[in-house]
Amino acid sequence: MKIEDRLSLLNYKTDKSYAHITIKPDICETCPDHFCTFACPAKCYTLIDGRLNFKYEDCVECGTCVVACAHDSVTWTNTKGAHGIKYKFG
Amino acid sequence: MSEFDAIVVGAGPAGASAAIRLASSKKNVLLVEKSDPPGSKNVSGGVLWGNGLSAIIPDWEKSAPVERFVDTKSVAFLTQDSKIGIDFSSKKLEQKKTGYTVLRARLDQWLARKAKEAGAMVINGVTVEKLHVEDGRVTGIEQDGDVITSDAVILCEGANPRVAINSGLRKPLSDHDVAIGVKEVIKLPENTINERFHLKSGAGFACEYVLGYLKGGLEAGGFLYTNKDSISVGIVVSMSHLRKNNATYSYNMIEEFTAHPYIAPLLQGGEMQEYSAHLVQEGGLRSIPKLFGNGYMIAGDSAGFSFSNGLVLQGMNYAIDSGIAAADTFAAAYDRKNYTENSFKSYQDRLEASYVMRDMRTFKGIGDVTWSPFVHKKVPAMLETLMMGLFMEEGRPKKHMTRMLLDALSQNDMLRVSSLMDTYRMMRRM
Repeated sequence: MKIEDRLSLLNYKTDKSYAHITIKPDICETCPDHFCTFACPAKCYTLIDGRLNFKYEDCVECGTCVVACAHDSVTWTNTKGAHGIKYKFG
Repeated sequence: MSEFDAIVVGAGPAGASAAIRLASSKKNVLLVEKSDPPGSKNVSGGVLWGNGLSAIIPDWEKSAPVERFVDTKSVAFLTQDSKIGIDFSSKKLEQKKTGYTVLRARLDQWLARKAKEAGAMVINGVTVEKLHVEDGRVTGIEQDGDVITSDAVILCEGANPRVAINSGLRKPLSDHDVAIGVKEVIKLPENTINERFHLKSGAGFACEYVLGYLKGGLEAGGFLYTNKDSISVGIVVSMSHLRKNNATYSYNMIEEFTAHPYIAPLLQGGEMQEYSAHLVQEGGLRSIPKLFGNGYMIAGDSAGFSFSNGLVLQGMNYAIDSGIAAADTFAAAYDRKNYTENSFKSYQDRLEASYVMRDMRTFKGIGDVTWSPFVHKKVPAMLETLMMGLFMEEGRPKKHMTRMLLDALSQNDMLRVSSLMDTYRMMRRM
């Protein structure tokens, strides 16, 4: 099953006013590895025409990207107000 | 005067256990959880090993939302074409239940309810931003500028402990601390699972796999556990190995596992219900931070109490027992009305005396073995050669079994001194 289809099974309460993860685009611009695109299990980090694109809405809050990024681009905070992923099974 | 005797951050097995223990000894305890309902952001394999909950919830097995008790525990090596494994099924596992498959969204919600029943105040949907510190001592938590005060805080945040990291109580996680776990829950009728895995009603199958065939030579572990009417299946890959590879998507690796010729039939006809992922604490002893200080203690995954010794993945059991140890340490400090670092020293002593720290010490350095080309490549290839030698019938006289073993070792380049050293190292660390 494609990752997009697997993610579509999930329930989120998306926080439209607060991104719990942010990146620094200028750092990603010159990143030599873009390891985040391989490490993130929710495909939140993708390369579009060689440029890094990040979307927090699909994030499953696993914590991978902040460790994966060796270039201090990722700032990771917990979601607030019970927003974010809501697993039924876990 | 503090609003609470103790605040516990995080309602997973560690936090809920600490809160239940504290509330049971009449402490005024607040359990704060960012998800709502509790458990809805939590993931594990998962098998809950051990009977740690009995210390705080007598007869917990009767009311806890467990899926199945493990009566078949297996470990297996997978190569491209083969599975070479050991199955252990035993009436003894039925009589003395040592592990249950669980789904965390269900288990943790139940644990939080038990904490409430025991007298703890439980609030969900509230994210602790940072610790409140006064005169060098943790005296509460902060959220959106609001302060809730307590005599001590027990941090049980799980595998990605943001508050502990932001407060400088734990170093930012690095490659050697963690692995990435990716999981799917596949729905299958209860009877189909029973028939497919040869299980009686209520009995379960749990297997850990060494995956020696993944594209790009990646080393990863797999797991497959039966729930009541679903199967939890997933992989765990170390951050450093995935980084070195830098060409494989973590979300595709699980597909390689579930497509294996001896895994796919187990899942056949199933319907995917959920996809999930989480960091896994894998660093063992070297990842464990200072566990206590002025006004605080750290328990469970936040403290790095989780690892695999190659045969079994454990974490929830350590979480429960470290949570209880932190609660008992708090209770002793409460009697002395002293919540300084010195007063919490006995937390370390309690853990050192229990299996929690003993296991961490016994299996220190195990990660070097479980994440090695020796275990992931050479051993499975050698076993496959050996088995083929033993069971191929070609109408020719057979070799002596010792000869076959030596041939298999030699064909897979395992008779070198370095391989013998690898074997020795593996045996020693396991």
